[in-house]
Amino acid sequence: MEIADKRERLQIENLEVTYRQNDNVHTVLDGISFTMYEGEILSLLGESGSGKSTIAKALIGLLPPSAAIKSGTLGLDGEPVIFLSQPGGAWNRLRGRGIAMLFQDARLALNPVMSIHAHFRETLRAHRLAPKQDPSSIGAGWLARLGFADPARILRSYPHELSGGMCQRVCLALALCLRPQVLIADEPTSALDTVNQGEVLDLLQSLQQELGLSVLLITHDLNLAEALSHRVMILDKGRIVEKGETARVLAQPKHGYTRQLLAARNLTSLSEAVSVSGRRDVPLLELQDLKQSHGSQRRILNGVNLRLHDREIIGILGQSGCGKSTLARCIVGLDPADAGTVRFRGRDITRFKGRARRKLARHIQLVFQDARASLNPRRSALELVQASLHAFRIGSRRERLERARFLLNEVGIKEAAQHRRPPQLSTGQCQRIAIARALALRPEILICDEAVSALDMSVQAQILELLQRLHRQFGFSILMISHDVRVLRTFCHQIAVMHEGRFVEQLPGSRLASGEHDHTRLLLRSADRLEAEARPASARETNMTHSSH
Amino acid sequence: MGRRLLLTFLQTLMTVFAASIVLFALIRLAPGDPAKLLIGRTMEIALDERTYAKMLGEMRTEMGLTGSWFSQYLSWAGSLLRMDLGTSFYTQRAVAAEIGERLPATFLLAGTALLIQVGIGLLIGMLSALHAGTLLDTLVRLGCVLLASVPGFVIGLLLLLALAVKLELYAIGSEAGLSRLWLPALTLGLLGAPQMIRVVRANLLSELGQVYVQSALSRGLGTRRVVGHAMRNVLLSTITLIGLSLTASISGAVVIESIFAWPGLGEYALNGILHKDYPALQGYALVTVLSVVGIHLTVEALYVWLDPRITRRKKEAAHE
Amino acid sequence: MNSRRGSHTLVFGMVMLVLLAVPIFAAPWLSLDDPLAMNAGARLARPSLEHPLGTDRFGRDLLTRTLHGGRTTLLSCGLALGSALAVGMLLGALAGMFHGSWFDIVLMRIIDVLLAFPFMVFAMVIAALFGTSLFHLLLAVVILWWVNFARLTRSIVLNTRKSTSVDAAFVLGISPLRILLKELLPQAFGPVLVLATFELGHLILAIAALSFLGLGSQPPSPEWGSMLADGRAHFMTTPHVLLGPALFIVLTVLAFNCIGEGLRDRIDPYEKHRI
Repeated sequence: MEIADKRERLQIENLEVTYRQNDNVHTVLDGISFTMYEGEILSLLGESGSGKSTIAKALIGLLPPSAAIKSGTLGLDGEPVIFLSQPGGAWNRLRGRGIAMLFQDARLALNPVMSIHAHFRETLRAHRLAPKQDPSSIGAGWLARLGFADPARILRSYPHELSGGMCQRVCLALALCLRPQVLIADEPTSALDTVNQGEVLDLLQSLQQELGLSVLLITHDLNLAEALSHRVMILDKGRIVEKGETARVLAQPKHGYTRQLLAARNLTSLSEAVSVSGRRDVPLLELQDLKQSHGSQRRILNGVNLRLHDREIIGILGQSGCGKSTLARCIVGLDPADAGTVRFRGRDITRFKGRARRKLARHIQLVFQDARASLNPRRSALELVQASLHAFRIGSRRERLERARFLLNEVGIKEAAQHRRPPQLSTGQCQRIAIARALALRPEILICDEAVSALDMSVQAQILELLQRLHRQFGFSILMISHDVRVLRTFCHQIAVMHEGRFVEQLPGSRLASGEHDHTRLLLRSADRLEAEARPASARETNMTHSSH
Repeated sequence: MGRRLLLTFLQTLMTVFAASIVLFALIRLAPGDPAKLLIGRTMEIALDERTYAKMLGEMRTEMGLTGSWFSQYLSWAGSLLRMDLGTSFYTQRAVAAEIGERLPATFLLAGTALLIQVGIGLLIGMLSALHAGTLLDTLVRLGCVLLASVPGFVIGLLLLLALAVKLELYAIGSEAGLSRLWLPALTLGLLGAPQMIRVVRANLLSELGQVYVQSALSRGLGTRRVVGHAMRNVLLSTITLIGLSLTASISGAVVIESIFAWPGLGEYALNGILHKDYPALQGYALVTVLSVVGIHLTVEALYVWLDPRITRRKKEAAHE
Repeated sequence: MNSRRGSHTLVFGMVMLVLLAVPIFAAPWLSLDDPLAMNAGARLARPSLEHPLGTDRFGRDLLTRTLHGGRTTLLSCGLALGSALAVGMLLGALAGMFHGSWFDIVLMRIIDVLLAFPFMVFAMVIAALFGTSLFHLLLAVVILWWVNFARLTRSIVLNTRKSTSVDAAFVLGISPLRILLKELLPQAFGPVLVLATFELGHLILAIAALSFLGLGSQPPSPEWGSMLADGRAHFMTTPHVLLGPALFIVLTVLAFNCIGEGLRDRIDPYEKHRI
């Protein structure tokens, strides 16, 4: 219990926030109290809708007008206690220098018409830090500390010229140049891909220790919290249900909700659950030297080869931009291939168009990442599932309706929700409907393009379980595309690792860890680094002792 | 960026070319013989048939009405390029010269109106957005809907009645100049104001909802400073509307000029209609078309100049 | 959920429109004076019980004329705008569906050219060349006004065509025609309806302005714009002669603007569920 000896940095007492929606008032945060100590990373864990972001916004005074703070005090080291329920500019003094914030999508957190230099200038001027020193030298100094090789060039740049990871590092520099005591990081890396994620987190961690900064890390990602934070708080429906040392909470969860969260991450491995049928001669789907360039100079697919057999599940692992989605679109004919062949049961379907292409819908189906966007918002769940049956004139009106009901029940959409339209349903429910719709034509191949990555952890787990069950029940093959090692590792018989438009390695799911290609190792490292680092709790304890001095 | 501008410029040239064909065709499609119109009905009665026919023939040659439509168009377009818009049927003077005399008046009116409109729009739109949801905001929005429903000439006549007749603040027949400009300019400015207010309000509200605003606030930047940052984006997105407003003011000036007897292009065109003065009308239409495409081109150029997302092409900065 | 955004404005606009439309369309059956009947004894009379809006320079009852005139104005504007809408939506949908084809390219160039002509200017040219009449003005409307609907429909069809939901429909094997009818066009109906409501207001204003300049329907038939033109000469001495038509124009356009605002707030299916 070393933390108890440390200086208290931030104290929040009894924070209560309500939202007004039409004429109803919902309580979003209910009696939140917690303390942050000097130089610690405190994780706030919870799923979307639990009120995580509301805490962040309440602490920094950025709640929307529809929200009201009913009660609560904020005590920052060396400052008089602030009553959060009182309106007024008490925050203005604290913002930036007392409490700073890092936003989820850093690209949006920078003004598109201002250069990075202008961002530093305005920020420093607002705190009257600029006159003494030239803003560009301060800015360049911080940018250099954040790992930029050429700070002068970055200062001249505009946000649209930088990548997401670079923008997040710029935002971190902007926040830190005011030397805040507390940094709130609201899902700071969830908009980044694995490699960028690792980079930003490394920087955050090392600078936090260097500066003795207290960080409130808001995340839905258990692994991230486990790897980085000294203590965690679990938030559920606006209440903190559990808090304590990270290792203790995650090893011996006391509250039921925490256990649910933990369970969601440990999926049963599929390799034991399903046995792959023996026939291996004619593959169901075969890709040969597939190439696609979207009409630009750069090849997006650069010679992809793959064989998918009956009842097999193949995972395609790769970072964003490696061509995974284009591959899916190529197979179903949304983006026609430039060269190479796609064979379905030995038949060349690469250049199928019009009616012939339409008929393939009965064999190959695609589930999109953004389920909500893939559903016509004007139609009910039942109508959506029936649409393809109707298009192929399968069955009578009653039979189609019954099949739609059956499928929706299978995916867990209850009678009452079957008549609702997408805007009235949750993202998880939309994804279930999209799966039911894809299965309506009894396809032999189901391609899932990041089908779970937009979902919360527990919903992710539910959908993956659903897919496993349906796979056992209907016996289709799955091409599972994801950037998430965890999703694929437990789910797939084979995993193909994709990098710059081609497969660099293909391994059985269970043996992914023994991958040899550099890129496989990089992906594994980025994903595992956090977990591996987190496991020995003692290692982190020693870390803490060092940083406290 | 240069290529983009060049492309827009070439497209604009094509548009002007096509518009000239449209105008040419319309005039040839119109009932009646322009040469007869120019000579006048009196001559037709006064002269004997042969002299009249000869005169008509000479007039046709002079007006370029002989030969095929194609050659007629070529000679017409050729004279246009030499800034020759023909001779007015009514005054017998060169149309180009007459338009040249009136153009500054209309541009002055439209330009002043635009300034008033942008001023009102920025000020009230900003106030309304910053006080969104309050009584002030509601009143502004109601006022906008109401003002947008009133015909321009009604506003003009009411202002005229109130300020010139009742209060005697404005003298209709006074010398051209500021004392005479302000009321028509105000009327024209008021006409475009509701849309400007609405767009500025909506754009500012949407900018204020952006993450970069929250991010700036979280770094402790004052509200005034942050609103200033947001306004840069608002101004940028308002440029298109400003261009459209200027166009609307130039064409809408007809009514206002007629009410306030402002000696601009609109009044000239109305006289042209009254006297069936084709060349005058044609000249008027051409000049407005040129102003419209010119404004459009300027707006494009302003974007290229002001918006860093267009000015600076994305660098390959991924590997830093 | 019971008080949706914009519903007050919508209801207000609708009620106002009905209140205006009923007397206007029932005018022939109401026991009113003949709109063309002159009365030399009561010229330019101020509003009174007998003539609620007064009389014009020929002693004709202005209320009667305003109501009768409204029918002409509303019907002709509605008809012209309806034709423009139909033409615009059809061409726009085709251009969006066959994006990049020669049809699309030619259509967009034509639209560019038409956009270079402000409506007032084009209408004036038509009036000068073919004569001043309401019919010619409406012709100018149909020639120019479809452009807005075409551009809107095209951009919506284009945007929706790239959307995931259309990709999904393609993958499900739904035919292109069905995709156009079921996925693409319904997306355009709402915004086009909103645009049409606002444009109807604009159109009434524009026609009124042109009639005021003497380029619209000609005396003695009553029409709001021409009544305004007629009263213009006496405006300084007897301003009430403009009251009837001006008031009705303002109220009608206001009704359409309110309906437009109300509809716009309701259109987006996701918008409603936002906090």
